[in-house]
Amino acid sequence: MQRNRSKSVYVICPAFNEARTIAGVLAGLAGQGYEIVVVDDGSSDGTRRVAETMATTVISHPVNLGQGAALKTGIDYALSRGAEFIVTFDTDGQHRPSDIPRLLDALVRERADFALGSRFLGGAQRTPVLRRLLLRAATLFTAVTTGLRLTDTHNGLRAFTRRGAAALRLRQDRMAHASEILAEIARSRLRYVEVPVTIDYTEYSLAKGQRAGDFVMILLDLFAHKLRR
Amino acid sequence: MIAQALLSVLLGGVLVYAWAEYRRSPLVGALSIVAGLAGLYFVWMPSHSTLVAEFVGIGRGVDLILYLWVCISLTVMLNLHLKLRAQQETITKLARSIATANLAAAQEAPAVTAEEAPKPAPPAADAHTSRQMRGQSA
Repeated sequence: MQRNRSKSVYVICPAFNEARTIAGVLAGLAGQGYEIVVVDDGSSDGTRRVAETMATTVISHPVNLGQGAALKTGIDYALSRGAEFIVTFDTDGQHRPSDIPRLLDALVRERADFALGSRFLGGAQRTPVLRRLLLRAATLFTAVTTGLRLTDTHNGLRAFTRRGAAALRLRQDRMAHASEILAEIARSRLRYVEVPVTIDYTEYSLAKGQRAGDFVMILLDLFAHKLRR
Repeated sequence: MIAQALLSVLLGGVLVYAWAEYRRSPLVGALSIVAGLAGLYFVWMPSHSTLVAEFVGIGRGVDLILYLWVCISLTVMLNLHLKLRAQQETITKLARSIATANLAAAQEAPAVTAEEAPKPAPPAADAHTSRQMRGQSA
């Protein structure tokens, strides 16, 4: 069962200048039967070269477009290849490959189309206080704007069924994509479920992660998106 | 009178621009129309600007006009920002097309044999992935 299911599981790994961590991340994902798709988002540090030796497929953006654009590129590719399940997985080393089967099992068990990882249901190593507050604020914002009741709204570890992924209309290239995905999940009216996952914070992942000022830009992006048809 | 005529022409241009923008961005268009009409009104009824300014607590009519002009400028800036975003979306689509076309071309390219390969064959797990990179299986 696990073996057959893994055949159509595509793990999308957006990467921008992750040469330092991507080899370890891809090594952790290898050997599980997943189709590993790295979307190199215009890296200049050799990320692509490392990925090409380890991933099933590497798609390279000619210029840096943003994580949201990279995810959409990977999702579109996976759908075009007949993926039944699509997982999004960050390449900064904060996610654990062992959480993926739990997400996939939740999709099947709960008959859901979206399984969203939550660090607050599971474990997060050394969650900084400011980050915890910002994430709580984002959770409240999501509840107000989309009606989704979630405990963690900016977790890059997610799993979609084919139907769920096809229902997402993603246009946010950069940081606002996480909020846009949730808005699209709400719009689709398809079933979603939260699954406990563990986030391993490192100095590297914290440095590459979002900062307080980024949330202002996310709000601006979402606002600007609403203004234009 | 000459200044009024010139300003009317300029503000008329703003209204035409606002009308054209309304189809793409209703909010920006509406704001520009309101600002342009208010400007035209005060150009021809300058004494009313002082009345309105006093009513809203600004003091002088000329200050009210200045503030309105600032509002128009901010609206135009917002619109430019939105246009840049629209251009970025176009660039994203182009870049994505290039990326997927490059991948398809790489997958259609003939496979490199072990003898031709510049590096030693990778371990078992990597051999699977490397082969797929060259498009021999999916």
